[in-house]
Amino acid sequence: MKATRILIALSVLVSGACNFDIADPNNPGPIGNDPSPSQVGAAVTGIIIASRAPVGGWNLISGILGREAYRFDGSEPRFISELLHGPLDPGDGFGGGQWAGEYSAIRSSNQLIDVIGTATAYSAADQDAVRGFAETMSAYEFLMVLMARSQDSIPVAVDQPLTAAPAPFVSNDSAFGFVSGLLDAADGHLASGGTAFPAGVTLPSGFAGFDTPATFRQFNRALKAAVEVYRGSLGCGATCYTTAKTLLENGSTFVDTSATADLQAGVYFNFSTNPGDAANPLFQNPQTGENHVNPRVVDSADTNASGAIDKRVPAKVVSRPTQTTDSLTSAYGWIRYGNSNAPIPIIKNEELVLLRAEANNALGNGLLAAADVNYIRVTSGGVLPIAGLGAQTQAQILGAILHERWYSLLYEGHRWFDLRRTGRLGAFLLDRPGDQVFSTLPIPLGEVQARQP
Amino acid sequence: MRKRVLFGVVMVLLALGARSAQAQARVITGKVTSAQSGQPVGGATVSVLGTVIVAVSNAQGEYSLAAPEGVVNILSRSIGYKRKQVQVAADQATADIALDQDIFNLEAVVVTGQATSVEQKNLANAVTSVTAAQLNAAPTSTIEGALQGKIPGALVQLNSGAPGGGAQINLRGVSTINGNPDPVIVVDGMIISNAAIANNLNAITNAAGGGNASNQDNPVNRIADLNPADIEKIEVLKGPSAASIYGGAANSGVIVITTRRGQTGAPRFHVTQRLGEFGVLSVLKSRVFKDSVEADAVYGGSAQAYCTGSGGACPYFDNISPLWDHHPLSTETDVSVSGGNDATRYFVSGLVKRDGGIAPNTGYDKQALRVNLDQQMGTRWSISVQTQAIHSLSNRGISNNDNSGTSPYLVFPLTPSFVNLAPTGPKITDYPRNPFERSNPLQTYAFLKNSEDVWRIFANTQLKFDAISTAQHNLRFTATGGLDNFGQRNDIYSPPELYFESNDGQPGTVVLGKTQNTNVNLLGSGVYTYTPASGSLTATTSATVQYINTSLNFSNIVGRDILTGLQNVDKAANITNLTQNETPVRDVGVSLQEEVLAMNQRLLVTGGIRGDRSSRNGDVNKFFYYPKFAASYRLLGFGGPSNEIKLRAAYGQTGTQPNFGNKFSPNLTGTIDGQFGSFSGIAAGSADIKPERQTEIEAGADATLSNGRLIASLTVFNKTVTDLLLTTAPAPSSGVATRILNGGKLRDRGLEASLGYALAQRGDFNWILRTNFTMTRSKVMELPVPTFQPPLGFGTSLGTFQIEVGKSATQIVGNDSTGAVVALGDANPDFQLSLGSDLTYRNLSFSFLWDYKKGGSVINLTELLFDLFQNSKDWSKVGDSSGVRPAHLGGQQRLNEFFKGNTYPYVQDASYIKLREASLAFRLPQTTVSHLFGDRVKGATISLSGRNLIRILPTQYRGIDPEVSNFGNQPIGRNIDVAPFPPSRSFFFSIDLDF
Repeated sequence: MKATRILIALSVLVSGACNFDIADPNNPGPIGNDPSPSQVGAAVTGIIIASRAPVGGWNLISGILGREAYRFDGSEPRFISELLHGPLDPGDGFGGGQWAGEYSAIRSSNQLIDVIGTATAYSAADQDAVRGFAETMSAYEFLMVLMARSQDSIPVAVDQPLTAAPAPFVSNDSAFGFVSGLLDAADGHLASGGTAFPAGVTLPSGFAGFDTPATFRQFNRALKAAVEVYRGSLGCGATCYTTAKTLLENGSTFVDTSATADLQAGVYFNFSTNPGDAANPLFQNPQTGENHVNPRVVDSADTNASGAIDKRVPAKVVSRPTQTTDSLTSAYGWIRYGNSNAPIPIIKNEELVLLRAEANNALGNGLLAAADVNYIRVTSGGVLPIAGLGAQTQAQILGAILHERWYSLLYEGHRWFDLRRTGRLGAFLLDRPGDQVFSTLPIPLGEVQARQP
Repeated sequence: MRKRVLFGVVMVLLALGARSAQAQARVITGKVTSAQSGQPVGGATVSVLGTVIVAVSNAQGEYSLAAPEGVVNILSRSIGYKRKQVQVAADQATADIALDQDIFNLEAVVVTGQATSVEQKNLANAVTSVTAAQLNAAPTSTIEGALQGKIPGALVQLNSGAPGGGAQINLRGVSTINGNPDPVIVVDGMIISNAAIANNLNAITNAAGGGNASNQDNPVNRIADLNPADIEKIEVLKGPSAASIYGGAANSGVIVITTRRGQTGAPRFHVTQRLGEFGVLSVLKSRVFKDSVEADAVYGGSAQAYCTGSGGACPYFDNISPLWDHHPLSTETDVSVSGGNDATRYFVSGLVKRDGGIAPNTGYDKQALRVNLDQQMGTRWSISVQTQAIHSLSNRGISNNDNSGTSPYLVFPLTPSFVNLAPTGPKITDYPRNPFERSNPLQTYAFLKNSEDVWRIFANTQLKFDAISTAQHNLRFTATGGLDNFGQRNDIYSPPELYFESNDGQPGTVVLGKTQNTNVNLLGSGVYTYTPASGSLTATTSATVQYINTSLNFSNIVGRDILTGLQNVDKAANITNLTQNETPVRDVGVSLQEEVLAMNQRLLVTGGIRGDRSSRNGDVNKFFYYPKFAASYRLLGFGGPSNEIKLRAAYGQTGTQPNFGNKFSPNLTGTIDGQFGSFSGIAAGSADIKPERQTEIEAGADATLSNGRLIASLTVFNKTVTDLLLTTAPAPSSGVATRILNGGKLRDRGLEASLGYALAQRGDFNWILRTNFTMTRSKVMELPVPTFQPPLGFGTSLGTFQIEVGKSATQIVGNDSTGAVVALGDANPDFQLSLGSDLTYRNLSFSFLWDYKKGGSVINLTELLFDLFQNSKDWSKVGDSSGVRPAHLGGQQRLNEFFKGNTYPYVQDASYIKLREASLAFRLPQTTVSHLFGDRVKGATISLSGRNLIRILPTQYRGIDPEVSNFGNQPIGRNIDVAPFPPSRSFFFSIDLDF
């Protein structure tokens, strides 16, 4: 009757017989050292997926802030209360949005950048190609954060352990400089990245035409040109505009106004309803969906000689029964994204043409700018060119450029940022007494709290 | 370790001296009856004091005992009765025994360990026992409802009114912030699953986005499967000082359920037939628009077409009430049979019930079958087998938060009352389109199917071996093996014709969810009891070892764009979501305990330690130890022979297992353009995560006064929780939203009191009042992380919980007009008070139970939605706006405050007073019974009973029901009211037959 011994023996038997060290059965861990080509491929695709996640929200929220869109959502009033009326709440996903998702995608890029040098399956050129890709995507995500924010509180040195003190805030201007530098570093890596992305890496069809290191560089340079134009308008001035102009005129980018030009050519995020994939979050039944077009989009559109409206409007906007919610009224629905599989652009030729116009205008080349503006008006809008535009003031030409950017890039996340960076937020018309136009989203509460002692 | 060696030595020595034979010479027979009713008491034990001789009375109360020569003292006891000792003279061959009812369960035996128990009168912890009679006073849909108001220290609240359960039993305040908030459920020695499996209604509601299962799906925690009619008693170990015996998983307490056993004698049948119905308890209605001027102010020109009466008068249609106005017949049939002989006893029960829902296509069906067997094999071996098979089918409709305009109380705020949503016929197209929101809830409920089909089997076997059985030494080994297996299938079918279905361009949605859960329990125990010949003390030494293997596999498929009538996911044009989630867990626990009952059963001293090891910990090989100590002392003789006061104190620790996966930092995965991608997750784990530790000191006094007519119990406790499983939020710029770590400190203090008084206790007139009082306060003492808001709720502007040093863990904060975050309430009630009454006069009995919760705030977002769309019933009311945060503003005033940035109008004091139970029963006279049913029927009772009959909201809350939790069971983030399923009341007529 040696009960104790029996019990101890039993407990040893019971606990010894079973393996308690159970690995995570549901998910992969972060990419580790010496990744295989398939692991690198999954990480590359993962970076695109992570970068895609915030895009729909940004286009909608910046569209509401930029008076392009409304969302009449019975379950979520903040789309039209907080975003149009305020106050912006740094603690929620509206005021405090457009931050965490972008930085999460940056983390994915950094995880790959940190280990790609240990990939023994790859040559140095292969590693550089992957590095250049990840750095470019990372720079794009930083740009997305900056588009929503004008204040000096943007951390950039975020590639560090989670237990480290939060990365320091830097000024908005240095953050833009950092993005520009990161794009250049990426461009250098892509330049030494060989003729093709290495085994295991396949970019989705939204990157078609930009899926070798050499062609991906055109995408990188296009982003760089955009960043430089933005910096130019935010105070950098001629230096940055000149950089942009050079890039847009020396064949580094895919800007094209030739006879065979496709204004929609560019880099896109794919969507689909396949399992594991994401449907385009901006697609809804245009007649019944919660997302509405701000009627000013239609009201402000130009018409052509026969009185027909700018054809970019009927291509993106459709009439629907009038709906009034909380004193806001709209009779238009969105068809900018026609189905759940419709891709959302990152950057496209049509934007590059207008960026070139903006750089030229800022550098005093009004005629060149006017030519690009009118090219877009005729080609994309089907409306008459503006006679004598090249002779107008820089401010007037900029106004024309911004008008074309509005319609060419409608519901693509540009309008609010365009008017902000050019100091024209006052141009927004308010719908209701008490509504206001915001110049920036606040720094998210969590970012501030993490720095409190 | 030293203790164990000592234990072994003592046991070996004692085993050598074991004897079990006793001289037996004569037979004593007799009958055990109830002193109050004169009815026979079956299943009573009758034992000869100072010996191991024992007999059990049969159904007629008769017993037969082989007793030694000479004068003997025999002791009879039975559950629900006080023990009685009778002296039998040397020449006396019969001894009838009349037992007094133990109305306050003073002599009930209560668990003190996994293998030990002690009588209530000696108990050193505040363990509450709920008896079968208390449990079944009024019919209940699921068992949690039957516990409301009966346990001091417990806050039992439903998550919504949806049929089929979903309730939280919260014991002694806040035991964790991020760990499991639910108590461990033990049924006949086996830990069973209380998992809540989400049905992925999110695929329809899009409440959480993404189309995958979410805690906003109003899931049912599976304690709902238990059949209340099978339960003999429920013991509630509320805090760590008592729950320590279950160690590392018992942070939120333990509920120990014992099912009914067979009684010797001829088969005894019990049949209960109930008929009744459920009706909605409260409906929140919308604004009445006077005329088109009023309507135009809200809806612009679009109201013109409707308000066409004279002077532009608007018509009024109540679209809300008809949705919740269904009263299908609800039925329940319970049958049980019990019987056996000295060697074999059996209890078999069956249940068939159907609870009709208050909305179309809702309801709850359950069938259950239980077989409990006890077999004696010789004098030393016995085996007990418990098996139960349960099938439940619940149809829960659609409710809670949404982002798709589908949940009724998110549609009604946008739907003005001048629109008529009533159908013109039975077809799906006969329902008018709702011009103001994406769906017509009447159409949705009539055609949307949301069913949860659960098949569950419990089976466990206990093998007992009495190695030593003498008057002085008892050594028993028990081996228990058990299985709890359930399969849950969720089907959601949303036909393409439903008006909201076309919004995503993929009309028609089907969801198929399948979950398999298996818990395997193995428990071995040894209990050695030593009673010296002097009888001065009883020392019980016990040791246990337990192994639990839990495996929960969840899979869910969402198909969209499907042809009318087809319900298989493979027929959908698009499979949009595929989920598989595996949760394998292995735990081992060992315990050692010593319990000494001394000083003529006046002093009880207990000490023990439990060690636990779990695959959920970062270090899977490490045992974490949880000690306990407890003592009680009875002071006798306060103005009466049976008056006494017991003083008690207890100390104990428990742990909270890390949540599954806390130690992992998983990447997320997805596809784009058909390619697989893996990217950084936003939740980082901790490779060295360990359990939380609760340490509790509890002290109290239990008094029995007025010769047993008055009992009073008072308990205070102080509980601290350290090594909290915390989710800190690194700077979002790190790319990670949360990181897990251990740290911080939390404190709960509380007071529990209960009082029972027999106002009248005569043969034909008995009246007992019971009252319970509970008050707990929590306080966050230390945090290694900044003040944070648990990731539930909707931001400070809509009110949210906030964990902050120096504040209550359940405080609710919101914004004020300056944009500052201010405390606006607390989900924890100020106190709870219940009052129950059992009155019996001759054959008639009447009982009721009132349950009062004072305070405890609810974040009422349903009202906010009505206000935002200027559609609240009290929109035009002008309430008193004086003072700070006025509580009774009208809708427009509330919204004005909200637009100023104030959240306070929607954080509301949600006190309630509910008449939980009321029952009127009549026991038919035996002559009538014989006349009606024949001589075979021995008793018949008819009763009329109801649950949640009356609800009073004495303060500010104006919502659908204060028992609400949009996010299901939560340690902190309950009480968030977003479009819940309305509560119901039930009435039942029952007839009980015994034969």
